[in-house]
Amino acid sequence: MNEKLLHKFLNNEISDAEMETLQATDMYRDYLKIASTTSTMQTPAFNRERVWQKLNENTKKQTKIISLPLLRSIIQYAAIFALLFAGYLYVTHLDVSVTSHVAEKKNLTLPDNSEVVLNADSKVIYNKKSWNKKRSLSLKGEAFFKVAKGKKFDVVTDQGIVSVMGTQFNVQSRENHFHIACYEGLVRVTFDKQEIQLPAGNSVIIENGVVIAQQNISATQPGWMLNESAFENSPLITIVEELQRQYDIEVVLKIRDKNILFTGTFTHTNLEAALKTICVPLQLKYSIDDKRGVTIYED
Amino acid sequence: MIEEDNVCKDSIYNKLFQNLSTSIYNFIYFKCGDSSQAEDLVQEAFIKLWENCAKVPQAKAKSFLYTVCNNSFLNEIAHKKVVLNYAEKTGPSINKQTPEYLLEEKEFEKKLQKALANLTEGQRTAFLMNRIEGKKYREIAEILDISVKAVEKRMSQALESLRKEIKNI
Repeated sequence: MNEKLLHKFLNNEISDAEMETLQATDMYRDYLKIASTTSTMQTPAFNRERVWQKLNENTKKQTKIISLPLLRSIIQYAAIFALLFAGYLYVTHLDVSVTSHVAEKKNLTLPDNSEVVLNADSKVIYNKKSWNKKRSLSLKGEAFFKVAKGKKFDVVTDQGIVSVMGTQFNVQSRENHFHIACYEGLVRVTFDKQEIQLPAGNSVIIENGVVIAQQNISATQPGWMLNESAFENSPLITIVEELQRQYDIEVVLKIRDKNILFTGTFTHTNLEAALKTICVPLQLKYSIDDKRGVTIYED
Repeated sequence: MIEEDNVCKDSIYNKLFQNLSTSIYNFIYFKCGDSSQAEDLVQEAFIKLWENCAKVPQAKAKSFLYTVCNNSFLNEIAHKKVVLNYAEKTGPSINKQTPEYLLEEKEFEKKLQKALANLTEGQRTAFLMNRIEGKKYREIAEILDISVKAVEKRMSQALESLRKEIKNI
């Protein structure tokens, strides 16, 4: 009985009445005194901070020790991850390139829903990933742009940069011939440290870095989009080059003045008709030699 | 394997050290009576915990530390006498006591000190964990990996032999 009370006391669970019962006996009174006096004792001070500091020095060294199999698997995982990451970067940062071949037109939609129509034998390159930050693409050949409203939109060509805000325009950049037509909005053409503002309904032809013509246009989109090519006072050689691109043919010119000027259009759907519309006004003859060969000659 | 907060997390490891290191230090001191040895063993145990942090769940860390300490203690031979200091008794009650009483008290404490050193290591550890650290039987039983009944027995035996020793001195 008293033994039970003693343990209650030691566990701090004793009541006052029970305490009195316990103190009635000599032996238990001694026990209580021993127990109480012991409670006031202390161990020598423990220097927790010092041990903690020593411990930190030790555990820092310990963390560097990684067992070999674990290390190996870490390296394996790291390698796999690095490879996947590199692949991801490669895919996402890869430039998108769209090319139209001779006698082919291509439509493409850019990430911001701007539309591009590539005329024959042309190429655009742009970056899908950075498109939303920087709307810039490079163009070789000829293309029509219908640009969604937004930040600056750059068409970079060898001959200059065409910048717009939101508009419809055509850029032709072939050899030395740089022809920009603006159908809506405002286009800025930068070339050779010069700058031209091109409002809607205007076009400009730049050859070898010099503006050779600036004219009004009444059409709402370039002729080639309606399957015809339109020219105004263009040298015959330019027209023949376009003819070769649209029909995938070789044209042999057997005439003296290859720079004879032509104004008019030719269709992309019928070679015979196209040749007629070019040759008849210029009083020239033509012959279709075989599937891919045409000769234009003087009477 | 289920990922849980294991001891490798710095914040958890720090908390374990703050909460348990003093207790473990006392535990070793009750056994060997050597404060520098106790400090070393505490440090050693926590290093072992860090090394095995991935394998020791947080809930098992306490018993891991006590077990490691007990094992290293058993591997070391040097035992000294357990010498305990007395907490300074403060408060008004002390002034009412007569010099004779205080002298008697001092004498008693000296005798108790000696008697404690002569207890078996098992009795002393359990007894002092309860008396100095205020741990309940259940917790002591858990740490020493014995039953509550066994703790009761050790406590009774400790008190019995302490009383006898003090009477004899």
